[in-house]
Amino acid sequence: MPDNMNIYRPLKAKLTNVIEESPLIKTFVLVPEERFAFKTGQFIELSVDGIGEAPFTPSSSPFITEKLEVTVMKTGYVTEYMHSLKPGVCMGIRGPYGRGYPVETFYDKEVLILGGGCGLAPIRSLLYALEGIKDKLRKVTLCYGSKTPVDCIYKPLFDRLNSIEKFEAYRTVDRADEGWKGSVGVVTILLNKIDININNSVAIVCGPPIMMKFGTIRLLELGYQDNQIYLSMEKNMSCGLGKCGHCMMGEFFVCKDGPVFTYDEIKHNPEIWK
Amino acid sequence: MQYKSIKKEEWDKVLESLLSSHTIFASVINEFGQDYELIEPVDIPSISYNKPKPATSLKSFFLPIKENVTSERSAEKPRIIIGTPNCDIEGLSLLDEIYLDDVFPDIHYRERRENTLLISADCFGIQEHCHCMTYNIKPYSTINADLAVMNLDGNMIFRIISGKGKEFINNIPSASPVDNKEIISAIDKEHNVTESLLSAANKGLPDYETTGKLVTKARVDIWEKYSVHCVSCGACTTACPTCTCFLLIDKPGFEKVKQMDTCQYPGFERVAGGEDALYELHNRFRNRYMCKYVWKPEKFRSLACTGCGRCIEGCIGKINKNEIFMELAK
Repeated sequence: MPDNMNIYRPLKAKLTNVIEESPLIKTFVLVPEERFAFKTGQFIELSVDGIGEAPFTPSSSPFITEKLEVTVMKTGYVTEYMHSLKPGVCMGIRGPYGRGYPVETFYDKEVLILGGGCGLAPIRSLLYALEGIKDKLRKVTLCYGSKTPVDCIYKPLFDRLNSIEKFEAYRTVDRADEGWKGSVGVVTILLNKIDININNSVAIVCGPPIMMKFGTIRLLELGYQDNQIYLSMEKNMSCGLGKCGHCMMGEFFVCKDGPVFTYDEIKHNPEIWK
Repeated sequence: MQYKSIKKEEWDKVLESLLSSHTIFASVINEFGQDYELIEPVDIPSISYNKPKPATSLKSFFLPIKENVTSERSAEKPRIIIGTPNCDIEGLSLLDEIYLDDVFPDIHYRERRENTLLISADCFGIQEHCHCMTYNIKPYSTINADLAVMNLDGNMIFRIISGKGKEFINNIPSASPVDNKEIISAIDKEHNVTESLLSAANKGLPDYETTGKLVTKARVDIWEKYSVHCVSCGACTTACPTCTCFLLIDKPGFEKVKQMDTCQYPGFERVAGGEDALYELHNRFRNRYMCKYVWKPEKFRSLACTGCGRCIEGCIGKINKNEIFMELAK
């Protein structure tokens, strides 16, 4: 970072497309005024001019720097405003911030990814990153759960993943509808279906706090060690700079020390699932 | 340590001449109490040296309560701050670690730091809640400030601490080196008196590390008991020289306004989905002590409580953190 750079000033980015993923989730395609590089799992602060900003992990490939995709669930004041935006408006980006997934340490291993709800957004970016290094990986298995079939985002992604060598993807829903023929139940039930060499594996969990908690518990029961489980923590990352204090989780600034942690690093803190 | 001395009348003239090129803030005692004031020539004789302590902590000079952090700004006059007690000087070192970190340095904070000459004042005497020594902080500065001043019977004695302080004092022709052993022993005597007062006033109060252990082990009933009187006003964190949490507020034109915030306010950790790790009052109340005595010490070299006692003085619920620690230590 240049010495005289103002850390609070966002980079402008033009919103070029808005993709409706589910009734509550949209993907925003942004073209920043400068090339924007990030590591998968890192996050950005995305702002709506004059309204507010919020942290999101890009859902696009880290190999692409001229555009950026951010998948946003309508859940609060800023995201509700975002959902009303049309292509052509200018948005603000700060970042990238924090520590992403250490994909280089996954070489020669099997990667198990457990995702829930909008947690598939950062996972999609990770999947792009893993696809780029698939020759160095043993296997990538995605287990994803959504509340209903309609709430599932990136639906074409699953067929595409299943067509890639070494990749496989499974889906489940909490509540089925008439057309649903697949698995019903929380995401951890998919773990019974998969074949994975746990000793030579890492597990990644990303989703709502309750899913992260029970996902981690199940992985531990299956025999995963604390340092084999990567969690993408969600806190109120306001500044992204390790200064404002809003995302403190025990001794960690989630924005700077995370958002990706191994379970081993944070398990001593009883507040991680709050 | 090197000392230089100048007669009080001469020093007052130096300050008057500096006012044409500098902004000077100094500790002043008036009918409203003791606090920093913007100094005009008429105020110079009433600057208070060596009395602990200004009501406002030093942080407000470097981290304003509210500021636009994205707008362009013009250069400010160099600034001199006089009369800062060492607890606040120590507090500034934590702010430096947070705001001048290698990865994301805050340019506004850095400009203010570089633009400011800090003349600390040794504390002669204590206030009711002063407890710096409990945390191994002396009531006088030997590091981190630029100079430290003592008014000894009309002689202003300056301890030279930084290169910037040395340059400043060396540019005052009437300041002469102190090699008089009587003056040095007079300084030592004042320090000893203050240190004795601090020790006597804080007998039994656990040290920093012990406090961290006690706070970690404390059961929820302790936090519930003491937080009953907390109204979440945030006076404790506002008065604190090391609490610097803030909120970024968006304004049109992608401008950001940085406003001081506190973990004591409801909703501080609330995320968009509604989860709030600090929803309960006793959890917010505990958070401040965990942050100061357990979490910040794991992350930073500098202390997150310097024993100034302002949080105790400022609490409208009359919560005395030291009473909590004494109860935990029983």
